Amino acid sequence: MPIVQILANSLIRAVELGLLAIGLTMVYDLLKFANFSHTEFAILGAYLAFLFNVTLGLNIFLSAIGAAILTGFIGISLDRAIFERLRGAGSVTLMVTSFGLAIVLRNIVRAIWGADIKGYAIGLQRPVKFLGARMTPIQMWIIAIAALFMVAFHLLLHKTKLGKSMRATSDNPSLAEASGIDTVKVIRWVWFISTSFAAVGGILIGLETQLHPQMGFVLLLPVFCATILGGIGNPYGAVVGALALGLVENFGLYFNFGNIINLGGVFNLVGEIYVPTSYKPVISFAILIIILLIRPSGIMGRKREG
Amino acid sequence: MGIVSFLIYLSIMTGIYAILSLSLNFQYGFAGLVNFGHVAFFCIGAYASTLLVMGGVPFLAGVLGAMIFAGVFGFLISIPTAGLKEDYWAIVTIAAAEIVRLFFLNEAWLAEGAFGIRGIPQPLRALFSTSTYPAFYLGMVLIFLGITYFALRLLTRTPFGRVLKAMREGDDLPRAFGKNVLRFRMKSMAIGAAFAGLAGSLFAHYITFICPWNFMPIETFIIWAMVVVGGQGNHLGAIAGAVIIQVFYVSTRFAKDYIPIEAELLASLRMVIIGLLVVLFMIFRRKGLLGEKKRSYRLSGEG
Repeated sequence: MPIVQILANSLIRAVELGLLAIGLTMVYDLLKFANFSHTEFAILGAYLAFLFNVTLGLNIFLSAIGAAILTGFIGISLDRAIFERLRGAGSVTLMVTSFGLAIVLRNIVRAIWGADIKGYAIGLQRPVKFLGARMTPIQMWIIAIAALFMVAFHLLLHKTKLGKSMRATSDNPSLAEASGIDTVKVIRWVWFISTSFAAVGGILIGLETQLHPQMGFVLLLPVFCATILGGIGNPYGAVVGALALGLVENFGLYFNFGNIINLGGVFNLVGEIYVPTSYKPVISFAILIIILLIRPSGIMGRKREG
Repeated sequence: MGIVSFLIYLSIMTGIYAILSLSLNFQYGFAGLVNFGHVAFFCIGAYASTLLVMGGVPFLAGVLGAMIFAGVFGFLISIPTAGLKEDYWAIVTIAAAEIVRLFFLNEAWLAEGAFGIRGIPQPLRALFSTSTYPAFYLGMVLIFLGITYFALRLLTRTPFGRVLKAMREGDDLPRAFGKNVLRFRMKSMAIGAAFAGLAGSLFAHYITFICPWNFMPIETFIIWAMVVVGGQGNHLGAIAGAVIIQVFYVSTRFAKDYIPIEAELLASLRMVIIGLLVVLFMIFRRKGLLGEKKRSYRLSGEG
């Protein structure tokens, strides 16, 4: 496979994971817990878009916007119903609760839409040649839309009053409160952004592949991996982590590990060794474990206690 | 299936899950280890025992082998995480469980891959008839459950167990007493994993057919639900939770015989209810039904 093609595939994977990782890292940073239900919001959003797009026959853009906003409100509501009651509790309690919520969301999706594979009404996608790589128009849209959301997020964080309050609240909630920031409102906004970004990510993945109730679980490890890789609490790191993971996942399959053992042709100890495709998911776990061993704070993380 | 044989089946499965629940409770309820990949040890135990016994080793040696393999694996995955926060434990254990499942799914040379292993031998099968054998197996499961219960109860009452409980509340206190908290974490991970391996062995020789689909990540969640509902940090609570969740889980399978509902929808709704139970217990009754017995210590000379 030409290198340009692998790069293109990596980029698509990276922007999808990046949108999800931004949302995960925001809630992680603000509320100090790993939200195991995060990727289930992505799937919920993707299926809501399916409802608008296929069942109700709306345009895919309108469906995606509607689904993302709706998912954002579901995120706020579930925070108020569940996590707000546990604000003082330790991170383990919140984590186990979010694990329970993940199972509830996943199975609600399965109960409503069934376990078989579904797809959006976007017609057959024919790949076109673009800078030497073959991409479908929808894949180009995916990169453009995800990039748009990332830029919007950057502007929101640095150019608006809300962004300033968000940063202040995650740095020091009590100081933010004392300075007159409505932290309750900030937390709601963070949930809204986190879960609606997740929904957009889920919809983009659904557009590129297809919809399946287990998608949330399949995405869980790569998204956590990108988040930890980039340093928990750092949205820019999350995007960089997603990019790194996308590259390693895609290049990993085409890399001849026999070359390392043979020291690039100096010896001829072994033949060609490739990672079997069936082990592709293992690549992200392997990176995760290596990162945890070497640098648990991530490549761009602030130093945090172990 | 007659009512008696159904009840025996239900009791055997409950007994096996009670061992899983006790072992997770030991790790989470006592040592505070957030193990979201417990099914990995169950899986390793099942495969290790199956392969050993089919290779000609006696049943009890197979059980022991299952415990050793699962325990060693538990020890290994605690190496990168022992010094890290709970969040990392959760994610690394999920990852480890997926690696284990993918391994058994893809490595057909070792354990038949996706087809699974059929015709797993059952201990002392020749001494019983087809109708009486399940009763014997139930007795055996209960004996192993009793051994697990008393072993873990004993362990948590020793100074070792007190260090674990102190560690759960934070590393500073045990560190101040010169305890190596990393080593304690690794040991408790290995011990819990070994008992989950025991449950895996009992499962494999009862069902006589195992495949990677038996060990999906959802099993871990079901074991968590047992610990959360029954009461973390309480051995009897872990058993009670296993009984409640298992009876609910198995009996709702027959709901479709009485109300017109698709099996797929029923399976989803059942998991929605178990998930909701966990969320509600975490909000309203975090200590579970039974909860941990707090021992109070009084300073001498006071009261």
